[in-house]
Amino acid sequence: MRSLPAQPEAEAELKKAHRLAWLTLLYNCTAIAMLFVVMGGSQALKTELTGELLSFIPPVLFLVGDRISRREPNERYPFGYERAVSAGYVGSAVALLGVGAYLLVDGAMKLVMQEHPTIGGFPIFGHVIWTGWLAYGVLLWSAIPAFFLGRAKRRAAETLHDKTLAADAEINTADWQSATAAMIGITGVGLGYWWTDSVAAVLISLEIIRSGWSELRTSLGDIADRRPLALLSKDEEPLPDMLAQSLRRRKWVKDVVVRVRERGREFTAEAHVIPVGEDGLLDHIRKASANPRGIDPRLAELTIAPVQEFPKDIEKARRRAPA
Amino acid sequence: MFLDVRTIATALLSFLSTACDIPKDPEGTSERIASTHELRVGVTDNPPWVSATHGEPGGIEAELVRKFAKNVQAHVLWTTGSESVLVEALKRHELDVVIGGFEKRTQWSSQAGITQPFAKDADGKKHVFLAAPGENGFILNLDRFLTERQRDSGGAS
Repeated sequence: MRSLPAQPEAEAELKKAHRLAWLTLLYNCTAIAMLFVVMGGSQALKTELTGELLSFIPPVLFLVGDRISRREPNERYPFGYERAVSAGYVGSAVALLGVGAYLLVDGAMKLVMQEHPTIGGFPIFGHVIWTGWLAYGVLLWSAIPAFFLGRAKRRAAETLHDKTLAADAEINTADWQSATAAMIGITGVGLGYWWTDSVAAVLISLEIIRSGWSELRTSLGDIADRRPLALLSKDEEPLPDMLAQSLRRRKWVKDVVVRVRERGREFTAEAHVIPVGEDGLLDHIRKASANPRGIDPRLAELTIAPVQEFPKDIEKARRRAPA
Repeated sequence: MFLDVRTIATALLSFLSTACDIPKDPEGTSERIASTHELRVGVTDNPPWVSATHGEPGGIEAELVRKFAKNVQAHVLWTTGSESVLVEALKRHELDVVIGGFEKRTQWSSQAGITQPFAKDADGKKHVFLAAPGENGFILNLDRFLTERQRDSGGAS
């Protein structure tokens, strides 16, 4: 199949990722329904609700992006559709940043306006109990499953090299963090400190904004064909150096500059090579570029361009201090 | 059965909410009422819920307020005014409760505390009091009182 790292477990992992995405959508519905019932007329849990609504975006983008990215290349889309996953990643990153920004603005506004959150009574079994106790239950349901969903997605994202899924995992993290902050906030409100809810939300929003900003920068970098970064650690991806080294080791290669770009779940590489001579050059190139997936399961294409000297821009892209 | 899940759950829940004395009022409304014996109520004319055109306020809600005041051993200090003026006073914690035939979906829900409904009118709209925002202990107390007295006051509209 196209658009999948050629690893034996990738296929199974993709199925798992699909199940996780659907599970997330279902789970979000239940969390929203519970929040809605307990909220009643109170504004206090509205922030949490907005976060849950935004968490619908990444799993949907993952499912849609996956579908589109499978299509074969054609005349109109000569490079195929792998970038659909990159586009989904941008959308998910924006959603994550949105969750953080909303938490920050909402919390800060409430602090400035000195808005005292009203959490009154909730009728149940003919008794009226404090809504705060029920809110704990609802928030635990927004936190614990989200934590485990996020962990499972992160694992699948790494195998599939799917960044939409990775950003989706980050949203789940944001969900359990903000739910935990809300629980701390409600405890404070119960003890008579009206500002704890907003302060907790503002503090956790900073972490979510940091993570959203980092994902957004990475996603825009991917679209701008930045040198690839590792999926989760965001450290430099070793593949470009590895490719350059393995080509330079060949006898027929005098010098080489390798450029790798990330296209959704795949890498595409271009190597400009200055050959030693022209004898058997075509054979050399054919052999070197025949099986890119064998070099790295994520490498879909390796194009080798023989040149007499590097064009100016290629020279600029050359790694100054090879590892 | 003598002890079923519901009784246990109810007992546990009411234990949680009474024994721990949570939630508290950030601005100390309940304590103030206990020491001054004054319940400060804003009224805006809206018969049959509240009639406040002359003399002591009357109507369904005014009667409820009097009963609630008796429960918390306070007498009522009435203030008459328009909805917006009264809600402003509520936000400044100069009033404890505002009544005037408010429905659950009132436009003031983002600014004032909304109590549990105490009645449904002929159109099925739920009626509530407005309370000082965030005074959660006081509001819970009021919610308990209103829920106990909830009845279908059909015919009133």
